[in-house]
Amino acid sequence: MSHQNHPHPPKLLLRFFRWFCHPDYVEDIEGDLVERYQGWVAQGQSPRWRFAREVLRLFRPSLIKPISNRELNNYGMFQSMMTMAWRNALRQKQFTILNLLGLVIGISTCLIIGLYIHDESSFDTFHEKSDRIYRVNQPYIWGDWNKIMATTGPNVAVALREDASEFEQITRILSLGPHTVAPASSANRSNSFKEDRVYAVEENFFDVFSFQFKTGNPSTVLADPLSILITEMTMIRYFGKESTPSEAMGKTIEIKQYDGSWKSFTVQAILENVPARSHIQFDMLVPLKSESEMMLANGWKWIWTGFATYGLVKEGTNVQALEKHIQTIPPKWAPPTTERIFNQSFEEFTGGHPWKLELQPLGEIYSAGSPTGHPFGPTGKPLFIKIFTAIGLLVLALSAINFMNLSTARATNRSKEVGVRKVLGSRRLTIVKQFILESVIFILSGTVLALIAVFLLISPFNDLADKQIDLMPYLRNPAFYLVLVAFIMISGGIAGSYPALYLSSFKPIESLKGIVKTGLNGRKIRNALVVIQFTISIALIITTFFVQKQLTYASNVDIGFAKENILQLHNVGEFGFDTEALKNRLDGYPEFTAVGKSFGVPPFVFSGDRYKSTEPEASVVQLSNLRIDDDYLEVLDVEFLMGRNFDSNRKNDKYKVILNRRALADLGWKLEDAVGNSVALASGGEEELEVIGIVENFNFNSLKEEIAPLILIHHYNDIVWDYGAGSSYYSMRLNPEAIATTEDLNQLLVALEEEMKTIDPTVPFEYSFMDQEFETTFRSERKMATILNVFTVMAMIIACLGLYGLAAFSAEQRTKELGIRKVLGASVVELSIAFSKEFTRLVFLAILLACPIAWYFVQKWLQNFAYKTPLEGWVFLVATATALLISLATISFQSIRSANRNPVESLKDE
Amino acid sequence: MGKYQLGEFEEVVMLTVAILQGDAYGIAIIEEMEKRLDRKVSIGSLQTVLRRLEKKGYLQSEFGEATAVRGGKRKRFFSLTQHGQAILRETKEQRVGLWNAIPDYALNK
Repeated sequence: MSHQNHPHPPKLLLRFFRWFCHPDYVEDIEGDLVERYQGWVAQGQSPRWRFAREVLRLFRPSLIKPISNRELNNYGMFQSMMTMAWRNALRQKQFTILNLLGLVIGISTCLIIGLYIHDESSFDTFHEKSDRIYRVNQPYIWGDWNKIMATTGPNVAVALREDASEFEQITRILSLGPHTVAPASSANRSNSFKEDRVYAVEENFFDVFSFQFKTGNPSTVLADPLSILITEMTMIRYFGKESTPSEAMGKTIEIKQYDGSWKSFTVQAILENVPARSHIQFDMLVPLKSESEMMLANGWKWIWTGFATYGLVKEGTNVQALEKHIQTIPPKWAPPTTERIFNQSFEEFTGGHPWKLELQPLGEIYSAGSPTGHPFGPTGKPLFIKIFTAIGLLVLALSAINFMNLSTARATNRSKEVGVRKVLGSRRLTIVKQFILESVIFILSGTVLALIAVFLLISPFNDLADKQIDLMPYLRNPAFYLVLVAFIMISGGIAGSYPALYLSSFKPIESLKGIVKTGLNGRKIRNALVVIQFTISIALIITTFFVQKQLTYASNVDIGFAKENILQLHNVGEFGFDTEALKNRLDGYPEFTAVGKSFGVPPFVFSGDRYKSTEPEASVVQLSNLRIDDDYLEVLDVEFLMGRNFDSNRKNDKYKVILNRRALADLGWKLEDAVGNSVALASGGEEELEVIGIVENFNFNSLKEEIAPLILIHHYNDIVWDYGAGSSYYSMRLNPEAIATTEDLNQLLVALEEEMKTIDPTVPFEYSFMDQEFETTFRSERKMATILNVFTVMAMIIACLGLYGLAAFSAEQRTKELGIRKVLGASVVELSIAFSKEFTRLVFLAILLACPIAWYFVQKWLQNFAYKTPLEGWVFLVATATALLISLATISFQSIRSANRNPVESLKDE
Repeated sequence: MGKYQLGEFEEVVMLTVAILQGDAYGIAIIEEMEKRLDRKVSIGSLQTVLRRLEKKGYLQSEFGEATAVRGGKRKRFFSLTQHGQAILRETKEQRVGLWNAIPDYALNK
């Protein structure tokens, strides 16, 4: 029979059979299988299928390999491997410590970042129906229709209830804005608090959201329009530390209304404190019913955009289809509002933009960070999450590289061990296992130490990142350990694989002879790894430098007036509308050089309206507006380009306005002939407002934004209604000579408080300094900068650990070379240079790579700012010089030591 | 001896091994059984029984020579041990005893 007549059965199946079959039986059964197969082939009876069936039927307990046997064998091997790992770790203490240190830094950084990201991305998950809750977002109808905002008019909810049966519930929240609130028990209401987080909610609020109750009945508590719900924290604030929820029930809390009267509410429920990971943060809730007057009184149903509207969809709803369906709602329902308020048709009002209603899932509201803000709580910073994720991965990569590098460098010292093992009959697989086990053990101990480190470091990190991450819930969660174990196995496997494969490839004869393959290969890879490490760290250093530089730049940018030394007194509105008496008192202080009133203070001037020039055919422009008195511009000390300030002696000035230069461009006016022109409200008011002055642009909002067009309105102007009219401020320019020390300042503040309390004790005394307020707009950037600094230092430490380890290794390798050089007359300095050169080259290469990378990212980040620091070359130079110095210092430990070594000692042993 | 009860399949396998007389390796046994009894036998089930019988000491086995036909693998030839033969005989006697005890008319209906 020729060979072709013996067809081979499928190889894979056969191999499978050989794998599972008992070794004693394998030969003859395999023979039987082959013979059968050939028989089937000859008969043409679908041999492959039959063969597969036969093989599967052989898989039975009596015929497969015994399992217990193998375990016993492995246990012995495992023990021996553990012993070896332990001995090796002890023998090379320096390497062990470097290795572990690098790992601990890398893993703990990564863990902390992981916790941070998990915390950021698990907002609002505590609501029972969280997966069915959506917020309704709409375009920013006050200007840029392409922007999305998180609030809607009250009647979006009304229309949704009518037209979209897919919703089980629709509920609205309205922030009542800052109110002065006092417990009724306090004498004179002097125990009052300023409450920003008091919201009006609808009766079905708790059908949608699952905030937990201490006392009170969720289903009935909102039925009474005069009930109030407070959190436990608020309860303690109002009724003292000893108060209990059951005691606090039924007590009265009074809220000061805009007209100065006090409205009484009864405490009917105490809620547990709002979880930190909720995008809705409140201190008190009142039923929206209590505001029924406001709700009914005005017809601003589609444009009073103070409401957050949430919908709970029915189970199994196709949300995409629903979202499509509800787009028909605004064109159907909004026209009466636009016609009544603006005298504009729906199309005229929208300017052709679609009035989109967007359904945003509850789980994404915080983490998406878009729309950028809402009045009810925090929004996330997706950019930070991206940056942190990147840094976490980079630092982890750095420490993994470190680990691989140090392990391979160490390898040479272990080549003899590998050689002996091979000679004694060890298979390559066993050696690979040995090394992988070692790296897993290393990473395991690194992880345990890192967990301890995280445990110690989590509270400083919380302070730094403004977070309340608690480690305990994670430690109690089995999934957390699962992730950790997976991490240890995977990273141990990966980090261990390279050294394992590399070391196990040694040929026993060569390695026993002492021909060590420090070979080109290993060296090249190690060098490449060092370059990667330094590229990452140097790029981080450059970025950090620029972030610092940008923040310094932005806080020192010329904003058009001197923001230092301006003290701002809050809650002035609560003294009533006419505050001339208060002003006269303030004017009496010698410490103030100017005193002025305004209905908003930079950098928080957010109100605005639609205006147009009174010229025929003029287009509508969006202007920010700020109501001020005659003296406010004097306090700011802004420059007048044309015209004049308000004059208290001219009666008619209260209907005049002042514009900033930026507004002229939008109105299409020239600076020279702007004064004397008039503007009017675009909503159809007939009254003309004559322009009497033009001021130079100044920043009245955060420096992240460009200066917007601004109209300054006189505070007594009773024609123009301004939404921001509720709260007003007195700003005082301090005389730096009168206030030389902080003690002076404190005395002034105490005096001011007393003065305020004599006028009306219920008004809370609050103040701020303008320059500090500008600073706070950079708060999140500063935080990010600090965190970035910390992580950059971590990255640099890890990179240096790696470099140090490699230098130590190289020093050992080159002992003889350096000894001979010294004998032949090289000086210590020459030797140090010769030694350092090898590594300096690598760092230089890393610098070349890092600069463009850093440039790219910095320039991208700077796009967030209206005022950008220039990308100057010297920053790159300084940053790289820093990196170079640090790395030289690291190497010099080794280079100087090896250069100083006595050549007799380094050359004597062979 | 009475405590060793052969299963039906075991008995058939042992009988087949006896029939094949020194030529009894896996495939030969299967083919013989398929031919005589018209039943499908998988290698897996046969090998299990063979190993069990061998362990009990009813069968013994030895390797034959390698041939090209089987991918170079040797055959394992099975044969009955003394013990096995005795068991087989005893089983047969039990059966015959049973047959003989049946009244003539019982199976003639």
